[in-house]
Amino acid sequence: MPTLTPEMVPGLVAGGASCRMDVDVAPKFKVGDTVKARDINPVSHTRLPRYIRGRTGRIARDHGVFAFPDTSAASGTHCDPQHVYSVRFEGSELWGNHANANACVYIDLFDDYLDSA
Amino acid sequence: MAHDHAHNAPPSETAMRVKALETLLTEKGLLDPAAIDALVETYETKIGPRNGAKVVARAWTDPDYKQRLLEDGSAAIAELGFSGVQGEDMVVVENTDDVHNLVTCTLCSCYPWPTLGLPPIWFKSAPYRARSVIDPRGVLEEFGVELSDDIEVRVWDSSAELRYLVLPQRPAGTEGLSEDELAALVTRDSMIGTALVEAPAS
Repeated sequence: MPTLTPEMVPGLVAGGASCRMDVDVAPKFKVGDTVKARDINPVSHTRLPRYIRGRTGRIARDHGVFAFPDTSAASGTHCDPQHVYSVRFEGSELWGNHANANACVYIDLFDDYLDSA
Repeated sequence: MAHDHAHNAPPSETAMRVKALETLLTEKGLLDPAAIDALVETYETKIGPRNGAKVVARAWTDPDYKQRLLEDGSAAIAELGFSGVQGEDMVVVENTDDVHNLVTCTLCSCYPWPTLGLPPIWFKSAPYRARSVIDPRGVLEEFGVELSDDIEVRVWDSSAELRYLVLPQRPAGTEGLSEDELAALVTRDSMIGTALVEAPAS
């Protein structure tokens, strides 16, 4: 591994490291589809927050194909590419009677977190 | 009292841990400590919310740019040169008369560094992360933003790979201002969604 030097900092900061993957993967869902987040409870890394698990929402936008963090975190390389969607969950679906009036949550979810509902 | 610590107190546990890590990385030849100084200087003086304010002011004054920004945030922000680490894939969401947007990250502290800099402490705090999704209106009220119930509140939980920037509403009475003058009105919090942009006092 090379030594990190001050000269390398501007390039690193400006370049970044996108998790987007330029591969052709078919989406499992399309905008407008109703989906239910899986009730998974792994002890390893996941980006599916507990408050979303088992809840039903609607696909609002397809962001394209990204590495899947749950497997990438374990392997150390970008892998398992799949579509990420912005999914809209109504406040009442997440929080029942405690929901704020006229409020919702949009969250980015991977194909492997979702089933058709 | 400006100080809340004694000058002869030992450094905090966190500070000592950071020092130990830096020493180890340096001794193993992985790090020139000057690189740390360069990184700190970058986020203290070059990269921060003034970048995002320029994006907002451009969107307010250039309808074509605004359209590109809302369709493909990453590309439109790159036009102004504010790309990079933790801003690789950007989404911009627009506040309107009917919709108010609020950004959070319930799992950690995901935040658009190239346009807003490093996140404020409260953005990373457990209370903000927990309450922003279940009681956004209550959180907004604590920030001094009171919204009527007919305005939809959209909370954006940026827990995956996309980073979010709020395009706040341009305040009334700013028609005569230049792009630079408009940018000066735009606050960091207005681009997270915990504030509105105020018109300048006349």
